[in-house]
Amino acid sequence: MTKTEWDILIASTCLKLLLFPAYRSTDFEVHRNWLAITHSLPISKWYYDTTSEWTLDYPPFFAYFEKLLSIPAYWVDPKIVDLNNLNYGAWSVIAYQRTTVILTELVLGAAVLRFVRGAENPTMQRIISASLFLHPGFLIVDHIHFQYNGFMFGILLWSILMARNDRKLASGLLFAVLLNFKHIYLYLAPAYFVYLLRSYCLSPTFTLLPGRFLSLANAVILVFLASLGPFLLMGQLPQLLSRLFPFTRGLNHAYWAPNVWALVTAVDRILLKVASRGQLSGLSVNASGVASTSRGLVGDTVFAVLPTVKPIHTFAITVAFQTIYMGKLWTNTSYKSFVTALTLCGFTSYMFGWHVHEKAILLVLVPLSLLAAEDNAYFRTFTIASIAGVYSLFPLLFTPAETLVKIIYSVLWAFFVLKPIHRQVYQFPRGILAVIVDILERLYLAGFPLLQLFVTLFPLVAGRRSTAQESASDNASQSENGVSASVSAMEFLPLMLTSVYCAVGLVWAFVRLSVIYLVRKD
Amino acid sequence: MHHEHMKAWVVPCLILASIWVKWAVGLASYSGQGTPPMYGDYEAQRHWMELTIHLPIRQWYTYDLQYWGLDYPPLTAYVSWLCGILGSWIEPSWFALYKSRGIETPGSKVFMRFTVFAFDTLVYVPALVMFTKVWQGTRSSRRQELALAILLFQPALILIDFGHFQYNSVMLGLTLLAANFFAIERDLLGAACFVLSLGFKQMALYYAPAVGAYLLAKCLYFGPTEGPRLFVRLGLVTVASFIVLFLPFLPPFAPFSAILDPITRIFPFNRGLFEDKVANFWCASNVVLKWKYIASQGVLVKLSAALTALGFLPGVCTLLYSAYRLQAQAAARETKTEHTRPTPLLPLLPYALLTSSLSFFLFSFQVHEKTILVPLLPMTLLLSGSSPEEQTFQLGMLMNNVAVFSMWPLLKRDGLGIQYVALLVFWNRLIGYNPFSFGKRSLLQLLSITIYAACLALHVAELIVTPPAHLPDIFPVLNVLISTPVFALVWLWSIKRGVEVSWALGGLGTRSSSKAAPSAPPKKSIPFPADSRPDLGVGDGDVGVDKVQGPRSSGMRTASLGVAQGRRRKVRSGSVDFH
Repeated sequence: MTKTEWDILIASTCLKLLLFPAYRSTDFEVHRNWLAITHSLPISKWYYDTTSEWTLDYPPFFAYFEKLLSIPAYWVDPKIVDLNNLNYGAWSVIAYQRTTVILTELVLGAAVLRFVRGAENPTMQRIISASLFLHPGFLIVDHIHFQYNGFMFGILLWSILMARNDRKLASGLLFAVLLNFKHIYLYLAPAYFVYLLRSYCLSPTFTLLPGRFLSLANAVILVFLASLGPFLLMGQLPQLLSRLFPFTRGLNHAYWAPNVWALVTAVDRILLKVASRGQLSGLSVNASGVASTSRGLVGDTVFAVLPTVKPIHTFAITVAFQTIYMGKLWTNTSYKSFVTALTLCGFTSYMFGWHVHEKAILLVLVPLSLLAAEDNAYFRTFTIASIAGVYSLFPLLFTPAETLVKIIYSVLWAFFVLKPIHRQVYQFPRGILAVIVDILERLYLAGFPLLQLFVTLFPLVAGRRSTAQESASDNASQSENGVSASVSAMEFLPLMLTSVYCAVGLVWAFVRLSVIYLVRKD
Repeated sequence: MHHEHMKAWVVPCLILASIWVKWAVGLASYSGQGTPPMYGDYEAQRHWMELTIHLPIRQWYTYDLQYWGLDYPPLTAYVSWLCGILGSWIEPSWFALYKSRGIETPGSKVFMRFTVFAFDTLVYVPALVMFTKVWQGTRSSRRQELALAILLFQPALILIDFGHFQYNSVMLGLTLLAANFFAIERDLLGAACFVLSLGFKQMALYYAPAVGAYLLAKCLYFGPTEGPRLFVRLGLVTVASFIVLFLPFLPPFAPFSAILDPITRIFPFNRGLFEDKVANFWCASNVVLKWKYIASQGVLVKLSAALTALGFLPGVCTLLYSAYRLQAQAAARETKTEHTRPTPLLPLLPYALLTSSLSFFLFSFQVHEKTILVPLLPMTLLLSGSSPEEQTFQLGMLMNNVAVFSMWPLLKRDGLGIQYVALLVFWNRLIGYNPFSFGKRSLLQLLSITIYAACLALHVAELIVTPPAHLPDIFPVLNVLISTPVFALVWLWSIKRGVEVSWALGGLGTRSSSKAAPSAPPKKSIPFPADSRPDLGVGDGDVGVDKVQGPRSSGMRTASLGVAQGRRRKVRSGSVDFH
């Protein structure tokens, strides 16, 4: 490692240490509970335990990983792994769990370091690697909110690196391992399947290479056996799968992830406003949809005006879009084509998936980063997707203390990543259409500071107004309803605006990347 | 990072990054969090906001003194009032009279942290930026940026202000502004700033002998006609500033006796010789000599006052004597009509500030461990202007690191252990300072290594061993015994350097005076006290230059380098030769 690389590692670790006392979400307790489950219970009970509401719902490799982490945890403080010690928040458990995130993130660090070695353009790759290791997404989701994405994206990047270095068997193997850590990476599986089948198992003349095919198949099967085998033997597979794939959730997550459905939901809300004023008599209003809006943001979303979306619809749309990209990947199996297809696979799932979580945007941003310095078109897409995507993660940290932390870090990151790449690849837009698009994109990006200003100031102003209303009204029973409605609106409006604004940028980035990928011949 | 197109952005990015670090430190717990009934410094500051917005000014210094009565000068009170008004506008319950005592809601914590952050950004950060521009204007922009980074991320201040919770940066920032204004010949503005600094926190008194001596020396240097004029103007500005500060406690706004309330609160002489364990002379020597039993309180107060005065006297004397000599030379050369600007005395100021504040820290009465921040400022200023192979750099790093170490017992109590480690590692790495790296070592470096080893050993021991029952304070005491010698060493060094610089100015001895006097430096460039060679010869070949050439030439170099920038070749080929 060079001195600069050590500098980055040491400095970033110090900064992450400062975040130990920061806000942590329920995911922190989720993972603590998993430490307790895997430490205290025999393996046969892991996927059955319901002591805490945060049951184990990750694949077995992650459970083994937690088992491994639970051993030192027991030495640090036995109360960490006590199953009934719910919501344990002592300093020992915070320091321990946060430390494990920092340490396991070194997998990501190692992977991006290896990307620099043997890169086509080491200067740019160095920036991209640093940008991935220091990504605000990881800072927000892992080091504050609390998850192990750095570790798992490290495995993903390692797998992509193997593909770049033409070691496709290792690439497939690592991806299989990754799937058994967290099944959300299934979103990316089609690209891996097509890519490995076409470029590894088939010869250029479409004849099957049985030796390669069998070795890949065996490797993948072995990985899955190592993961699921014990549960298969115990006959717990159905239970395990029901934990992994709960189909009982709504279309949108609590806060609308900024995808196509966020835009559709917003349109529905606007139409409802119009319809309730009686201006459009032709619209039929769904009563449960009206109730769904008044409930604000929690739970299932039922449209009031537009036709209701079912899981099968989202699934069909996702598959349809992915098929198009896979067709392109089938004809072009270069490394760059693979990474683009991988990104688009994740992007499609994010855009149209059922109950998408906003954190899933990392599935797009991480592989897309690898393409950032390809040329101006890719860079622009990367810029828009990164800024909108990172901003869309901001609502995860709703506590005022972390506001400056997330904003300043993201701004500094954006500056140090975007500025040098921009200089390297920038091209002046050619043609009137390109100029207009360029201006619109710039305007869109310039809107983010304004959005942040609104999100920050709105609760202050609205809060003062609602307390003023409260004190003004004498009738307590009346004001209670009014205040609670205005409070929920107060929380809801900035969130909805954030979601819709980010969705516009992300949908545009999605369209942009699709067009680039499908139109280009390279 | 440092490409042509990014140059303009380095300073804003540095400031932004330092804001991030400060705010991130603020996520941690503060002093006295969750420890009723008295809590800690955080509650004291919050309580002052509460009482100033609810009570008439006359009661500020008399209201319920047992529960964190106001004992800072009036500017703090006014600032508290402003913060209280703002906070009450957002959420009245944060500062409700009496009811809000010990309030620990997340919202009020964010607001309190924000006030520190706001004043730091409004006062201290601009003062630092101005310092690098004014005092180090002749250095390359890269060196200036590094200096700014060293100052912005100084761990001791961040830990105390943003972790423990205090507003030291305001007091330090105002003093630094005063020094900056002195450097650009705005002495009256500087004096007013220093009064504000005193009016914010009485700790600024540690600087007062140096500042006073500097201004007096300047009057002396200006000669018999201009000098008294400046003196009178300075006196008027100072008195007027004090009157404005204390206006609500003076007639006609209050009876004359009212002024006693703040004064008795600000200077408490009825407390013990020292509080807690602090790395100064009294506490360290207390291990052997139990001062409490040797002498009465009154005697001890007088003794400490005398020792303190003795401690800062060298700094004061060098300033005055240099001024006297320079004036005499100028008179002899009959060039008194035009004085060189900036004052040749300016390089002495940082050393005088260091000598004076350290003598207060080491010998005065009622010193807190946090007060090390006061002498740390001039040392860090000197450090930021030095290059890595210099003594100033080595000693500056040593003192900074040991200062943070000396506050470890306090930080540990506040729950800032992680922040302590993280900031120290971050800052040292940022500067590229590694005392344990291999290479040729000077005596000072060997000493540094020994001290660091002792610090590390103490930390390890504290982790492993529980202190024996009859020696519960063994670790804090050992901490004091490790830290005090370092501070004493820096104090002696600052005196030595002051004398060297003064000598180089031609202030001492008649033999070399005519030759060594800086001959009319070019206007608008500020002599910087430490090394200011921007590009040439930094980092190679002149290790241990001080030792080799002795105090005479290093003092000369010190005094004239910033000035010599424009005419470097001439100076180098002349008397000063450091390659």
